[in-house]
Parts: sequence; C-alpha cells; structure tokens
Amino acid sequence: MKKIIYMAAFAAVLASSCKKETVISEHDGELTLSFDAKAGTGDFALNQDITIGTRTYNFKSLRYWVSNVVLVKSDGTEYAVPESYYLLEETGPVVVQEGDYTYPAKKREDVVLKNIPMAEYKAVKFSIGVDATHNDNLSLQAGELSQLSGMTNVSWMWHTSYIFTSLQGTVKEGATSKTFLAETGVNTNYKTLSLNLPSAMRVSSAKSAKITLDVDVAKAIDGIDLIATPTIGASQASVMATLADNYATKAITVTIAK
Amino acid sequence: MSRLSYIFFCILVAAMQACSKTEMSPVPQPVELEVPANFPVPPSMPDNPLTREGIELGRRLFYDKRLSGNNTISCASCHSQSLSFSDGVALSQIGVSGSILHRHAPALLNMAWANNGLFWDGGSTNLESQAFAPLANRDEMNQELYELVNELKAVPDYVNRFREAFNDPEIKTGSIVKALAQFQRTLIAGQSRYDKFRRQEPGATLTVQEREGLQLVQSKCMGCHQGELFTDNRYHNNGIDQDFSDASLEGLFQGRFRISYDPADLGSFKTPTLRNVMLTAPYMHDGRFATINAVLDHYSSGVLSSPSLDPLMKQNGGMPGIPLSNSEKQSIIAFLKALTDESFISNPRFSNPH
Repeated sequence: MKKIIYMAAFAAVLASSCKKETVISEHDGELTLSFDAKAGTGDFALNQDITIGTRTYNFKSLRYWVSNVVLVKSDGTEYAVPESYYLLEETGPVVVQEGDYTYPAKKREDVVLKNIPMAEYKAVKFSIGVDATHNDNLSLQAGELSQLSGMTNVSWMWHTSYIFTSLQGTVKEGATSKTFLAETGVNTNYKTLSLNLPSAMRVSSAKSAKITLDVDVAKAIDGIDLIATPTIGASQASVMATLADNYATKAITVTIAK
Repeated sequence: MSRLSYIFFCILVAAMQACSKTEMSPVPQPVELEVPANFPVPPSMPDNPLTREGIELGRRLFYDKRLSGNNTISCASCHSQSLSFSDGVALSQIGVSGSILHRHAPALLNMAWANNGLFWDGGSTNLESQAFAPLANRDEMNQELYELVNELKAVPDYVNRFREAFNDPEIKTGSIVKALAQFQRTLIAGQSRYDKFRRQEPGATLTVQEREGLQLVQSKCMGCHQGELFTDNRYHNNGIDQDFSDASLEGLFQGRFRISYDPADLGSFKTPTLRNVMLTAPYMHDGRFATINAVLDHYSSGVLSSPSLDPLMKQNGGMPGIPLSNSEKQSIIAFLKALTDESFISNPRFSNPH
C-alpha cells in the first residue's frame, strides 16, 4: 500500500510539472540582417570626402529605424518577428535633450533575429520608420524604441514623434559648400519594403543564416539637391516625401542570402 | 499528522509549486471614468487603461518635484488645482532655466476627451507623448530622463507602485508618462451650476441673465466652443494676429501651420474649453488678454483680417468680428461664471498627496 501511495505521489508530481518539449536535433534558428551602408560604388564612411556625381560629400551621421520585420516562407506563409524595432546607424556622438545627455558614437549594421521558425524563406519585408501606433504614442516602448536615442522629437514644444531616417554632413560643389541635415518622419512617410531573396534560404539551428542588404545613400538622396535644400524635415514636405520614397524604393537592396 | 495525510500534503505542495507562474501578482484594479450624464462618451484609450494604481501613481508623480532636473518644480507648479490646473500668468518663467516660456500654460480639465492633439498647435497626439516635452524641455522641467528613472528607483514606495500599476518590475519612462496621463484623464469638471441645471437636478436654476448668456454663447460662440465640453478640440485663427510671416523658433508664431504646413492653418490655435474659464485667466496661447472682458472686446471689435481667418469670426455682415453689446457681454460673463465647477478645484482626489 505504502509503495502504491509513493508511486502515485511521484506520478502526480511528474504530471503537474511544466515539462519542456523533447529536444530534437534541428530546430528554430538565428538570422542576421546585415545592412551594409554604401555611398554609390564605394563604402559609406564618416568624415571622409566621398564624390557622388559632381559633388563632394562628407558624412557625419546616418541613422534610421528598421521595423516590423516579416519573413516570407517559400510556401507563402509569413512569420512576423515580434518587437522588431531596430536603430541602424553609423554616427558620431549625438547630442540629446539639448546637450543634457550625449548618445555615444556608434556603428551598427547587423540585426540578429533569434528563434526564427525552421523553414525555407524566399523574401523579407520590413519598414523604414516607425508605425503610426508607436509614432503617435511615445509611451509604447517596443523593441529598441526609446526617447533617448536622439531619434525622437521631444525636447521642443511641437511634434512629439520619431525621426524615421537622418543623414547629416556637408556637401560641396565648386566654391559652394553647405552643411545638410536630411531627415524623414511623420506617418505618411512610413514605408514598407518587400524584397525577394536572390535564392531561397533555409533558417534553422543547423547553421547561421544571413541576409546582406546594401543601403546606398547616393540613391537615398537621388534627385534631391542638398545645396538648394540643406535642411529636409517636416517643413519641406514634398522633398521629405521624395527622400522617404528613395529609401523605400531604391536605396535598399538584398545582395546575398545564405 | 498521519503518514498518509503527510504524503497528500507533499503532493499538494508539489502541485502548487509546479507551474508557479499564476502566483499572486497583484493585478491593477480597472477604473471606469465617472462621466457626467450630459457629457459624451470619452474616447477609449486601449493602450493605457485606467487603473486605481496607475491613477494614484500619476497623481503622486504630478505633484513630485523629482520630475524636474533640479528638483524645484513639479507639473503642479504650472498646473495648479486652485486655478483649474493653470498658472495665472501669461508666460511662465519658473522653469529650470528661468527663461520666459513662449506659450501660456493650458488649463487641465476634461482631458479624457482631448483626442485631437495636445499643445496649442496640436503637435502631440496624446497625453502620453505630450508629457515628454515639458519633462525634457530645457526651459521647463529640464529633466534628463535616465536620471529621472534612477531617482524614482531610489524610492521604495515608487518601486512598489510602478510594479503594482504596470505589472513590470522595472520603472520605465513609458510607464511614467502613462501614469501621468491616467491621472490627467480623471480630471473631469462637470459639476457646475450649468451642469446641474442641464441635468435638471432638483433645485438647479440659472438666472435670467445667465440663461441669456447661455443663448448668446450657443448662437455666437458654439462654432468653436461646441457641445457639452465647450470645445471642438480643433484649431482656428481667431483674428488676434494677421501677420504670420515670422517663421522664427521653428514656426512658433505660425500656429498649427508649424505642424500641418497647410496655409489655411496659419495663426490657428486649439480651442480651449469655456468650462472653468473664469478661473483660467489670462487668455489665448500667449496669455495676451488679462481678463475675460478683454477677450470679449477682441471678439466684438478687435478681430483682425487675414486669409486664414476662420469664417466663424465673420459674424458682422461678412466682416471680421462678432458684435456684442455691453449688456450681452455681461450676460455671457454671468453664464461663464455659472460654468465654473467649484468642486473640481477642491476635490481631494486631485490634490497634492505628498
């Protein structure tokens, strides 16, 4: 009798414990999205003279939000990466809150996505900027969204929202030189890209997968005269829309998926 | 304890310990706004539901000087309950920098219905986002947000209250502004003599002059000061200026144009409510009119013409202005006095808890 009671107790404990699934050899894996900044044919670099067309640029900062990443499987079904808000950047120190705080110089090109369902994928979708839900309500802090990155408009008394993309530097042509700040923002400029991979790619625990994307600032500013319009922001709605369209339609391309 | 019952006891304990996620984490208590019967249904805020714990935390933060960079001012310093959460001065200079501000501190009442932009030009979409501006602005509270989180973390009572209100072991800037927004949404003013008259409560009356004032407001002012909230929450150029060419300070003097870039919005500012207006002098986005008489004189005979002037300001045979006789002005003022909710400014639930 005693034995039976002990066994019953043991069984009850076992049954009520939170048991993990049995481990199998190949399972969900990791995928890296690598956003490789370019300036035309060359690499994007800060504080160097770079010639694009007839003009010489010297970039100080490139920053942009990549959000709401969706991976498209070969069977057409989709996996939306939760909490996917990432700040991609190559920048010197950023003054935040009018100098109360300095965001350190940073270069960040890789986004590592974890626990991606094991499958074969054919395309990737993501957005540049921050969706209206989060853009309109800064208290909703998902992923890397933060008021303290210098990518929000909060320290002055008007638009409280995110800056979607920001490119800063100087531009020279002949004797003319201008310091420029080209930014995008506001909900209408939140754009979603859908990019096919060059070939289908398997993601699993068996090997690390990586999608490499080129982000070409020369294409981002294509058709925009930064000497004529050195400050692009909400007050230049049409130029800002062109800039946002360029990021969404030309500047970002997938080069390798493996 | 017999051996058998001991064993059953063991099983029970083991069963309770397994999957212990459901243990007693305190759930914040949902709160329904107490909406006066003559008010519309407030817009829902699914991202920040009101809770007893969140509202109380928000009240504590609202009155806490820790929220400013040098711990000298709180939200209540410029939003005083006795003045319907306004400050009585045209342009404040009690901010951390001591510099004079560019905008008049708005009164806070019936904020739960303010769903068409905050600030005088509507640059912020909701109270949650709005809070970051006065907190961070150098001339206002000048608070470094990381520092604020650390200051609050150092107070055990706050650590507990944040955990209870948001089920989150960490204090986050997002939770700070959510709590502030929750408290502000409870600031409902709807117990004036007018309200009691409107709801036909026993004994509630308005004098002949007050009723005359109500009719004048309904016929001449309701284009903007609409409905039971006495505001349409929209933006209008009411003719206090006519030259909007000064684009300095990021369009500060251009009104809602700085947000919309629509020329029709040049010189447009948000309609404030008429409720508690006798408590909230001076008036306009820059506090330029010291008295309600000056405001009525403006509408009656001071409206300036410009291309973006709101057509509602042209009630003078198509010309700018809303003509009012002296006795009409007096009737309107008598009615506005009947719109004051005295209980609002003495309600202990809105007062300083510290």
